[in-house]
Amino acid sequence: MWVLIRLAIGCIFLLSSFSTLLSPYQNFLYVVQAYQMLPSWAELLVAHTMPWFELLVGFLVFFGLWTSLGLRLAAVLFGTFIVVVGQALLRGLPLESCGCFGEWIHLKPQMVLILDSASLLTVLLLLGRLQGVKNLSLDAWFDKNERRS
Amino acid sequence: MKKKLFTVVALLIVVGVVCGARKLLTPKPKKVAEVHVQSARQEGDPHARVKVVEFIDFQCPACATGMKMLRTYFEKYPHDIFIQVKYFPLTNMHRHAMVSALYSECSSRQNKFWELDALILDQQKQWELLINPEPVFQSMAQQVGMNMAQLNACVASDDARLVINEEKAAGQTLGIKSTPTYFINNQMVVGTKSMEEVMKRLFPTK
Repeated sequence: MWVLIRLAIGCIFLLSSFSTLLSPYQNFLYVVQAYQMLPSWAELLVAHTMPWFELLVGFLVFFGLWTSLGLRLAAVLFGTFIVVVGQALLRGLPLESCGCFGEWIHLKPQMVLILDSASLLTVLLLLGRLQGVKNLSLDAWFDKNERRS
Repeated sequence: MKKKLFTVVALLIVVGVVCGARKLLTPKPKKVAEVHVQSARQEGDPHARVKVVEFIDFQCPACATGMKMLRTYFEKYPHDIFIQVKYFPLTNMHRHAMVSALYSECSSRQNKFWELDALILDQQKQWELLINPEPVFQSMAQQVGMNMAQLNACVASDDARLVINEEKAAGQTLGIKSTPTYFINNQMVVGTKSMEEVMKRLFPTK
């Protein structure tokens, strides 16, 4: 079961990064701007780097390579999302009506906050069950080869 | 050591694949000029040094703000800006996106696009709450002196809807996901904040 949860978490990051990276960066910049948290130069930096960081985390977690590091980074990302969405909710920013997420994503910010919090808890749980999580992972394969040699 | 090397190689492959896919899928800027627009939905000199193509959803609050900003620039620099408006109604998000676009398209067929466009966007907060905003649009159309029989025939026709859907589909092939999306001198700019930044660079004295 732990392996399946690890794969699901990895999948979330991979899909999210692919969808962002395969569309013009300006679309994601608009999402970042909607949270009104950063100066313009930092928004641009985040719009360019965040999807690659998500890709890295998704890759590490999904394939179970440096699993512990990948899960820690995933926890940092979920924690960041919680802070970003939380401050937007507290400030009453009009995230739903801005069209920032295109027309297909209708999740209310409250729901996003709940999902991110649940995901953070799950990742923390996975970090406490590393042995089980590492089944069917590249880490396990490398460990096995190391023991052989 | 083996594991570190494997990680580096694997990540390089993944990055390479994503970069390749991006290159293949990134829309070419010249495509935006290929989207046909009725002359009534454009303003200014087509040879002006700043060409702005806006993909708009009339129920989107940022589009209303953005259009006001754009009009301010146009009024100040009428010879330097060329504006084109194309439809991108977010119909899954805004329940009146299509009907407002329809009235807008039909106004363009009577050369009243800019007048009705200004009213629709200015009063967005009032009509977006209504179950049926059409009486409000009709009253706006009367206010700007449109031929009501022609308007009603146009709104009921499939033709206007087809134009809107075609422009939206063209926008999607350009990578548009949300509104307002602008192409300023063929450079994609999403949202009013980015648009304002680009316009400030192009017109530094404002």
